[in-house]
Amino acid sequence: MDKHQLPDLIINGVSGGAGGTYNNVNMDGVGKVVGPIVARMFKGNGHMNLNDDLAAEEAECNGVIKVMGNMRFGTLKVGGVLNVGKSFRGESCTLNGMVSVKGDCELEDFVGEGSFSVGGLLSAGHVDFKLQSQGKANEIGVESLVIRQVNNGFWSKMFSGIIPKLRPELCARTIEGDFIDVEYTTADIIRGNIVIIGPGCTLGRVEYREQITVHPEAKVGKVEKVGE
Amino acid sequence: MEDDLISKKQLLDLTGISYGQLYRWKRKQLIPEEWFIRKSTFTGQETFFPKEMILSRIHNIVNMKEGLSLDEMADKLSDKASFEKVSVTAKEILERNIVSTITLRKFGKSLGDESIYTFEGLVHLFAVDRLLSAGEMSMEEAELLFRTLEEKVSRLESGSWELFFVRKMGVSSFILAQAPAELWFDEGVRLVSKMTYADLIEQLKGKLAYKLVE
Repeated sequence: MDKHQLPDLIINGVSGGAGGTYNNVNMDGVGKVVGPIVARMFKGNGHMNLNDDLAAEEAECNGVIKVMGNMRFGTLKVGGVLNVGKSFRGESCTLNGMVSVKGDCELEDFVGEGSFSVGGLLSAGHVDFKLQSQGKANEIGVESLVIRQVNNGFWSKMFSGIIPKLRPELCARTIEGDFIDVEYTTADIIRGNIVIIGPGCTLGRVEYREQITVHPEAKVGKVEKVGE
Repeated sequence: MEDDLISKKQLLDLTGISYGQLYRWKRKQLIPEEWFIRKSTFTGQETFFPKEMILSRIHNIVNMKEGLSLDEMADKLSDKASFEKVSVTAKEILERNIVSTITLRKFGKSLGDESIYTFEGLVHLFAVDRLLSAGEMSMEEAELLFRTLEEKVSRLESGSWELFFVRKMGVSSFILAQAPAELWFDEGVRLVSKMTYADLIEQLKGKLAYKLVE
């Protein structure tokens, strides 16, 4: 970045702003930004609409944030709901709430609790996620994937029966990775080196190279060892 | 077309890399997005790759890995400019077996300075050498090919080309086309060989990668 001091963008209350390159972006309340934002530090609280790309070295999103374009970041913390219209790319993402991405999602570390939905490919180094409601991706390609279900209380159990979207489970078409440890997962195919299938899984086909463990309560169509 | 593709499963078996590595390299843009080709097969949708390009690219990555971090490598591999600056001496070419002695003796001199070769010049030598050493082309044809490449390639806009080597009733000719090109020939024509610029530079990059790591 340039040596000279970059301006800050501060939105308080109900207001709007323009895109551009900023040092700090602080948004509280209800806001709308027209144009792409590049910032060193991005903080959004409340209800924000960004109608273009967002790039930030550090980002924190609390509340309901909507990014219509692509999102790039170094580290990101989400508390609340984040919607991304196109692709989502960064180093690490800590989630406590919900992320929904229309395009591809590329991360090195993805940890958190809550739910996510990825329209395209979820590609990550490490995914460690506790599902509170549905996690969804078209394809998943990872080095390691650990999916757990949070012990849910009476109310969420009751609601999940009525609304399938609230059922805490992972849905994907294919899951590929070196180390896969999942429970409550529905997928057509899982391919991996070491695969651990926990309770509540419904899988069409599992291909493994080294090691496999299948929980007796899992439904697996076909298990096959490949390679060698 | 089918022969030019390799499925993801075959690729992993062949190269011994893992899913994680493949996805990681893709994330780091070491493997271009366009190379991931989706096709439906009877087991569902599968991913395929252009065979020659992906194999030489993976070979490059594995060989460069020791000296460089993934990010540095991504910069180098995607940055064509850094390869274009590379120049190689005749001695190195022979030592590293990039181009055979015969090809170098015959065509090397016409590239100007005898002892130093630029990347572009080397691509042409490499192309000629590949066909010659595969035994598909006579020396006279090689001369024709080399002249064609030297004169005509610079006229192509994007710098990306495909070369078709055809023979009909013993008469051979070269067709140079802007990539991606699809040509159809009449029945009497035999397509002896087809080369793409992208393939060539990918292989050449592998042979020259040591230059960048130093």
